[in-house]
Parts: sequence; C-alpha cells; structure tokens
Amino acid sequence: MESMTARHALYLYLAVLPAPTFVHDARLLALGLLIALALAGAERWHILKRSLLAILAFNLSVSLGVVLVGLWRGSIDTGWLLLANLRVLLMVYLGFWFIARVSLLAALSGWPTATLIATLALGQARAFERLIRDFRFAFASRSIVKPRLLDRRRLAGAQAVALLDKAQAQSTEVALAMRSRGAFE
Amino acid sequence: MHIPDGFLSPQTYLPVAAVAIGAWAWAARELRSRLDETLIPRLAMLTALAYGLGLVMVPLPGGTSGHALGVAILALLFGLRLAFLAYSGVLLLQALLFGAGGITALPVNALAMGLAGSATALFVFRLLRGLNETAAVAVAAWASVIVPGALVAGVLGIQPLIAHQPDGTPLFFPFGLEITLPAILVPHAVIGIGEAALTLLVWRYAGMRKWKA
Repeated sequence: MESMTARHALYLYLAVLPAPTFVHDARLLALGLLIALALAGAERWHILKRSLLAILAFNLSVSLGVVLVGLWRGSIDTGWLLLANLRVLLMVYLGFWFIARVSLLAALSGWPTATLIATLALGQARAFERLIRDFRFAFASRSIVKPRLLDRRRLAGAQAVALLDKAQAQSTEVALAMRSRGAFE
Repeated sequence: MHIPDGFLSPQTYLPVAAVAIGAWAWAARELRSRLDETLIPRLAMLTALAYGLGLVMVPLPGGTSGHALGVAILALLFGLRLAFLAYSGVLLLQALLFGAGGITALPVNALAMGLAGSATALFVFRLLRGLNETAAVAVAAWASVIVPGALVAGVLGIQPLIAHQPDGTPLFFPFGLEITLPAILVPHAVIGIGEAALTLLVWRYAGMRKWKA
C-alpha cells in the first residue's frame, strides 16, 4: 500500500469494504481474513488485536443474545455466529489496516469540506485530551488526601468551563490562521 | 447507538448511501457560505465534544450501543445542515479511528443521528420555546436521542425480514423489531436525560458567551 497515494488507498478500501457483505460463506470470509492478515505485514497482529478489542463488546452482546435465543429454542445457530463474527471482524480489520497505513487527512484531501471538518474535529479532540490530562494531573498534585465527592464535582464544573473556553481560544487561533491564508475568500 | 459494519445488508446500506450522499451535498452547500473565523471555533469545539461523547459507549443487547450524542446542541446553535454535516464527520472519525460504528453503516448512522436527531431537536425546541426555553432545550435534547434510537432500532429490526436464507435464517442482524425497539429505546430514554442535562449546560455556556442568534 506504500506505493499508492492516500486517495487511491481510500478508493481501494471503499471498493473492497462492501465485499464481505455479499459473501455468506464463513469459509470464504475466513479466507479473506487470512489474505488480509498475510498482506498486512508486520503490523498484522497489532491490527488484529485492535480489531478484536473494537468489536468485542458489540459482537459479544449480539452473539450472547443469539446463544440465549438458541438455548431457549433448543438449537444454537453456530453457522450464523461464525458468519456474522467473521464478517464484522474482517470489515473492522480492513478499516484499521487502512488507517494504519494511510493518513486520513491526506486521503480526504480531495474533498475540502470533509477535510475541514476532520481537521477541526481531530484538532479539537486532541486539544480536549491534552487539557483533561493537565487538569487531572494538577488536581492530583493538589490533593494530599482522597478528594471528596464535592471537590470532584467542583473540579468537573471548573474543568468543563475551562475546557470550552480554552478550546474556543485555540480554534479561534486556527480560524484566524485560516483567514490569513485566504481560506474564507 | 452506532450500528457497526457487517450487521446491515447491502439492500439496506446501498440505497441509504445514495440518499445520504444527496443529503451531504445539500448540507455542504451551506457550510462554505457560512464559514468564518467566528463560526469555525464554535463548530469545531462542539463537534469535538460530540466526538468525545459518542466514544463513551455502553454496548446494548439489541446489537448497538448506548451513548450521549451531542447533536442537539449542534442543531440548536448551528442549524440543521451544519449539525448534520458536523455529526457525519464525527461518525466518520469514530468509525475509522476507533471502529465505533462503521463505513457501510455510516449513511444510516448519519441520517438517523445527524439528520433526524438534529431535525427532531429543532422541531421540538421551536414547538416548546414559547412555553419555557429551558424545558424546550431539555425536551429537544431528550427527543434528539429517542428518535434516532427508534430509527436505528427500526433499520436493525427489519434486517431479518429483508436479508435471509431460503430457510429464513437471517444473514445479517438476527433480531426483529420486537427485540431491537425495547433494547435500544429503554436505555436511551435514560441516556436522553443525561443528554438533556449536558445540552442545557452547553446551552447556558453559549448564552453566557452570547453565541445564540
């Protein structure tokens, strides 16, 4: 995937992604997953682990539901369990493989609106993460004993307002920088 | 309430994708005309808030997840089209970066949560604003969670009917409406209360900063 541009990788991903929804044979889906694993290189196990963790909660809850209904009816549909879980795993794996190899912003560069929204949301989300971490460390460093519920509630209130104010200040700077570069002309 | 990849049949997501592409094009027309250095920071900030809220998910037995949306405040402050577009961006990022939701399910998720959620919030808010603004915001936020929940439950619940093997075995999502509707709506009726409280908090913040039109 290194040799193709980010946009071509996006097109390839979008073309391949629906394929598992047209396949209703678990063996073919397993083969597709094996091929994807083989092609993903050294990162394959990391991507597989990430994919398994991402789908674990949802697929487990649906699968447990199917198992419970099956027990109640006297026959568990193992074919469906295998088919559905393999299909979801393969589709999530393809997504994480794509994102591990390609910069999302580079892939979206052909669509200015999508790029703009993704840039702004990602930038802000990272700013939020940083601010929350700073607040947590600052609060921990000031707390000699375990903080009371009231203290934690006050922190949450102060944190929320500061978070919104700081986030706005940061994105104002981004917007001014965009204006100075003619983004709104 | 994100629907993950792999639970929707192509008979569902392909036609819905065609509708969503049209809706995104319609919404994007407004974005470029309204973008300026005042709107961008606010939109970015609240889009990121929605992004964060959507990642705090609890899986529900109906095959989806429970979480606050943050779409009501986007709709109340920026209008239907910008809220829909911003929320679609949030769903795209969540799907690709965290595997929350999915790309084939994105059109359904975006139309349900982004478009229907925003439209519901605006409709309810305008309906009740004359009575009491605080109550109007709270009920609008609650309804903006319930209506998308019902839509998502509906789309999932019809999968066994529209995609199954000759013997009736479902090919995609296995449960019908009798399971998906209560499994999604009951938890979201409670989550909606949290959404209402959060939306009121941000609404008051927006009032303090004189953002409201």
